[in-house]
Amino acid sequence: MVFAEQHNGKIHPVTFELLSKGRELADRKEVELSSVILGHQIREEAKELIYYGADKVFIFDHPTLKEFDSILYKQNIVSLIREEKPEIVLIGATHLGRSLAPRIAAALNTGLTADCIDLQLDEDGELIQVRPAFTGNILAYIKTKTKPVMTTVRYKVFKARERDPMRKGEIIEKEVKVVEDTGTKILGKIPREAVNISDAGVVVAGGRGLRRPDDLKMLEELASLLGGVVGVSRPLVDEGWASKDRQVGFSGNIVKPKLYVAVGISGSPQHLAGMKDSEIVVAINVDPSAPIFNVADYGVVGDLYEVIPKPIEKIKLRKMKL
Amino acid sequence: MTDNEFHIVVLIKPVPDMEKVRFDVEKGVVDRSSAPLEINPFDLNALEAAVQIKEKLGGEVTAVSMAPPAAESVLRDAIARGADRAVLLTDRRFAGADTLATSYALASAIRKLGRFNLIICGEKTVDGDTGQVGPEVAEMLGIPHIAYVTEIREVTKEKLLVVSELGAPYLMELKLPGLITVTKDVNKPRLPTLKDKLKARKAKVEVWSADDLADVADVSRFGFSGSPTQVVKVLVPPMKKRRSQIFKGEDAVDKLIEALEMEGLLR
Amino acid sequence: MREDIVEALKNIVGDDWVVNNPEAVKSYLEDETEPGVKVEPAPATDVVVVKPVNAQEVSEILKLANREGVPVYVRGGGTGLACGCVPSKPGVVISMERMKEIEIDKENLMAVVGAGVTLGELLKAAAKEGFFFPPHPGDEGAQIGGLIACNAVGARAVRTGPMRNYVLGLEVVLPTGEILRLGGRLVKDNTGAGKLMHLFIGTEGILGVITKAVLRLSPQYKATATMVVPFNDRRACLNTVPEILQSGIIPLGIEYVQKKEVELTAKRLGLEWPSKEGEYYLLIMLAEFNEDTLYAQLEEIASICRKNGSLEPLLAETPEEQTNILKIRSEIYPTLKPYMEDSPDITVPPANIGKLIEELEKLERKYDIYIPLFGHAADGNLHPVIPVKEGWTKEQYEKLRMEMYQIAVKLGGVTTGEHGVGEARKKYLKLNLSNEAIETLRKIKKVLETTPSH
Ligand SMILES: Cc1cc2nc3c(=O)[nH]c(=O)nc-3n(C[C@H](O)[C@H](O)[C@H](O)COP(=O)(O)OP(=O)(O)OC[C@H]3O[C@@H](n4cnc5c(N)ncnc54)[C@H](O)[C@@H]3O)c2cc1C
Ligand SMILES: Cc1cc2nc3c(=O)[nH]c(=O)nc-3n(C[C@H](O)[C@H](O)[C@H](O)COP(=O)(O)OP(=O)(O)OC[C@H]3O[C@@H](n4cnc5c(N)ncnc54)[C@H](O)[C@@H]3O)c2cc1C
Ligand SMILES: Cc1cc2nc3c(=O)[nH]c(=O)nc-3n(C[C@H](O)[C@H](O)[C@H](O)COP(=O)(O)OP(=O)(O)OC[C@H]3O[C@@H](n4cnc5c(N)ncnc54)[C@H](O)[C@@H]3O)c2cc1C
Repeated sequence: MVFAEQHNGKIHPVTFELLSKGRELADRKEVELSSVILGHQIREEAKELIYYGADKVFIFDHPTLKEFDSILYKQNIVSLIREEKPEIVLIGATHLGRSLAPRIAAALNTGLTADCIDLQLDEDGELIQVRPAFTGNILAYIKTKTKPVMTTVRYKVFKARERDPMRKGEIIEKEVKVVEDTGTKILGKIPREAVNISDAGVVVAGGRGLRRPDDLKMLEELASLLGGVVGVSRPLVDEGWASKDRQVGFSGNIVKPKLYVAVGISGSPQHLAGMKDSEIVVAINVDPSAPIFNVADYGVVGDLYEVIPKPIEKIKLRKMKL
Repeated sequence: MTDNEFHIVVLIKPVPDMEKVRFDVEKGVVDRSSAPLEINPFDLNALEAAVQIKEKLGGEVTAVSMAPPAAESVLRDAIARGADRAVLLTDRRFAGADTLATSYALASAIRKLGRFNLIICGEKTVDGDTGQVGPEVAEMLGIPHIAYVTEIREVTKEKLLVVSELGAPYLMELKLPGLITVTKDVNKPRLPTLKDKLKARKAKVEVWSADDLADVADVSRFGFSGSPTQVVKVLVPPMKKRRSQIFKGEDAVDKLIEALEMEGLLR
Repeated sequence: MREDIVEALKNIVGDDWVVNNPEAVKSYLEDETEPGVKVEPAPATDVVVVKPVNAQEVSEILKLANREGVPVYVRGGGTGLACGCVPSKPGVVISMERMKEIEIDKENLMAVVGAGVTLGELLKAAAKEGFFFPPHPGDEGAQIGGLIACNAVGARAVRTGPMRNYVLGLEVVLPTGEILRLGGRLVKDNTGAGKLMHLFIGTEGILGVITKAVLRLSPQYKATATMVVPFNDRRACLNTVPEILQSGIIPLGIEYVQKKEVELTAKRLGLEWPSKEGEYYLLIMLAEFNEDTLYAQLEEIASICRKNGSLEPLLAETPEEQTNILKIRSEIYPTLKPYMEDSPDITVPPANIGKLIEELEKLERKYDIYIPLFGHAADGNLHPVIPVKEGWTKEQYEKLRMEMYQIAVKLGGVTTGEHGVGEARKKYLKLNLSNEAIETLRKIKKVLETTPSH
């Protein structure tokens, strides 16, 4: 069973990734794949869960479920699990998922594995859950003795299947249990403050290789196409081209994005201190001996003004086609 | 502590100093003896939050840990940082606990402590790293919780107004008694004074065994026997090597774009 | 730069390790010297950067430069504060960044390191094997070669002194290209080689290029702490320092900082200065083999501080807390840099530090300025900042600088305790050294080279 996380009636993409993995596991175990969604006026959206691989979708639709409430969500899901007895329950390891899943597991007195990056089946068809621990220094392989086996799974580790609007499945409306006052209340959403490059998934960083402050716009365009933000080396902050909260390095921010693009940055030890744990590092520099290339996965020796426009064009072109 | 005094429980996990702990790539083991224990960094924020609330509302802060006997020094540190009382659950029978069994032991200890208004946990730990203990303890005690609290805006004896990160920051209200888990953003923990450190070195840490909880708990649910999840294998991945593909010349950019597409990074 | 020289350099190190694209050369023209005393580098088009990987290549480069009469500038981490690595004339910059070999010799408690290893890299490699390296001159991007050339000191040198005390062996290339290997994995070496070695420590590279070093390591301490002691009175704060040393406890480090500067720095770094009380602080770093010894010392030091009117000390024990305090201390200089003309590195006999403060306060009144102040209190080494003041001319700054220097000399001190002379402060050398002494240095240099390197 896959928990479908939704915000304002829109399903979180991690759900589709879980459905894809769930489909694979269900097929190998020759069982059904179900999904559960809670919210208000979500019947239309629920069909998406079938298009992405669910056989059955349970809907809890009620005004009190419009926004997340850990106790209300827990109660309805727990009673559904007690009825349906799924073998495995998958929940996205988002903030919401990681706040909700432990309550469900504790209520069911079952095991829960956190933030998995891989799920495998052993010879006996039992689920092996793989997760990093010790701040990413080790990988633990975990089995659960109790049923259901519950797991939260990290976003963007599995690939969602193609959406198939012809796929058929069953949608089952469940009766909602309402609790008057659960003790928590959402009073409103708060606009996020300034850029936070520490948490960004993609950072495109510019250094002294840039000639004018205006040229940062080019990096901004690339960054936004990649879904990321712009960072800078210290000299650009000293020059007043960018604000301090964009500085990467020892005396700035430590970043660990999936993709770090260093553009016209030499790779001083102080700069490396802020980005060396990035997953993939790309460097663009005219100087083949620049130390940044020592920590790069991919690099281009060349003039950034000739290099950067090309991927920008390429991505734009593809976005137009879609 | 009188009946209407505000009582805060802070859950503190003693963890190995991550800068010193060593990992054996070949054997796939973590050598815990290589590093001294310290307060889980996120729990320093939890403790600071508790002390700040106490400074406003009065009352008492109790620190509770489940850990090996060597963790007494960690709880003394908690006392130096403002906890009034410290309880260490330590017993062979607590060993090998997963989050469910850990939460059960901690929830039982809190029950045994008696009345409480607020429980504060860290967002997660730097070793087990699950972030599950807070919400599980709340469920076991039948109280509401708010996780990933990044800011505490208002506190009264009846409720808390907090900002919680749920994909986006939300302003939320929590009725007490309740539980929160806090992130590093919630405050900047203060340094203890030398005087408090010296005093805490002589302070008493209450040590409770599994039997001490027998009147409020089912002891078979502690430790390994009460743990449904089991770590069957541990891998220490070797330090990641960079791919080091540096392209030069005419088609360098095309090669870069191709490589990034292969990595699925241009989606 | 002459094409034939570029080609010859490429023949020595390979095409990829010679940089003459002016846009790339620009990264190798500056260091961290104060804005007001910076030396103007030669244009990027007149400079070529070369990155040798061993002593042999360095030797060939030096021979070439010698032959062609081209000045050579050795560049380490570029964190120097005297423009020592700045090519002030058209020439060759030798960047040591590729000399990265590093071996921890556990049995001998030593490390054998290439000159291009950064302090950060050494600290990390040593810690991994359970060792520690005390000297900490501010920025961990400095290289071992640069630290030795400058005989750097820094914040953790009260107990064990400057870089010189850690160097057991050196590989040096003379300006004429000869490679010397002096000292070695020896704690004692009273032969001529061991003595000669010291000629190259602290002489800022003018006598030769350091390519490799054997360094002494210290075992990791089991119990460490950084105590922050706030004071309301500046002199009381500084006068406490000699008393601590006289008590028989020699901490790893005793640093002096002030509220205004540390709060500004902490804010810039996104950190918080731990103390809400006091205006002036001593940061006392201790390292011992067990907690009881550590605490006994803490109590003794605290009682001396209290007797001198300190407020309640704060104690940092976790690595993160200690690192953050050291980080704030180290980053005061870069934080103040945009507001400073200069920051003299004056050093007086430790017991005269109280008098030094009095004199600096007189200068504040005389010039109607605020002089930010921080430094290595136990070494008698302070960094008073000459702030940028609207309307001031170069001459006015120069006058104030000279007054500061003269105060130091009058109190039995020198114009630089650790940052060195470099290109930026050559002209002040005569305040410290007699003509005869300067002439002697010149003679030594002449013996070792045929062409001046700076
Ligand atoms: C105490 C201290 C703390 C510091 N903290 C930080 C910190 O937190 N973060 C930080 O970044 N730095 C920090 N620094 C500064 C650091 O030492 C370097 O000076 C800085 O990182 C250099 O920035 P850069 O790489 O942008 O510039 P440079 O080193 O000048 O590099 C520019 C690069 O651009 C390349 N280039 C030039 N033109 C082009 C072109 N047209 N196309 C492609 N490439 C081109 C050049 O080849 C060169 O490699 C700190 C320094 C000190 C002393
Ligand atoms: C490699 C590895 C992987 C693991 N994976 C899982 C797993 O997927 N699922 C699972 O159920 N167990 C798992 N465990 C076991 C789990 O780490 C322990 O149960 C641990 O005691 C608590 O979990 P945590 O460290 O993740 O705490 P978290 O849930 O991350 O801690 C959150 C907060 O709870 C409080 N807290 C947690 N533990 C204690 C304590 N002992 N005493 C006082 N307060 C505490 C603190 O306030 C802390 O900040 C794993 C253990 C290891 C070594
Ligand atoms: C924020 C900050 C704080 C600092 N704090 C301190 C401090 O507390 N104490 C202190 O002593 N210093 C301090 N410094 C100064 C600086 O870190 C040291 O002087 C350091 O020793 C310089 O090393 P480097 O590798 O960066 O040398 P560079 O700046 O590259 O060069 C300095 C000099 O050494 C020569 N040199 C470099 N490498 C070699 C080599 N392999 N062979 C021969 N000559 C060489 C250069 O030619 C030049 O003359 C600080 C600097 C900064 C930026």
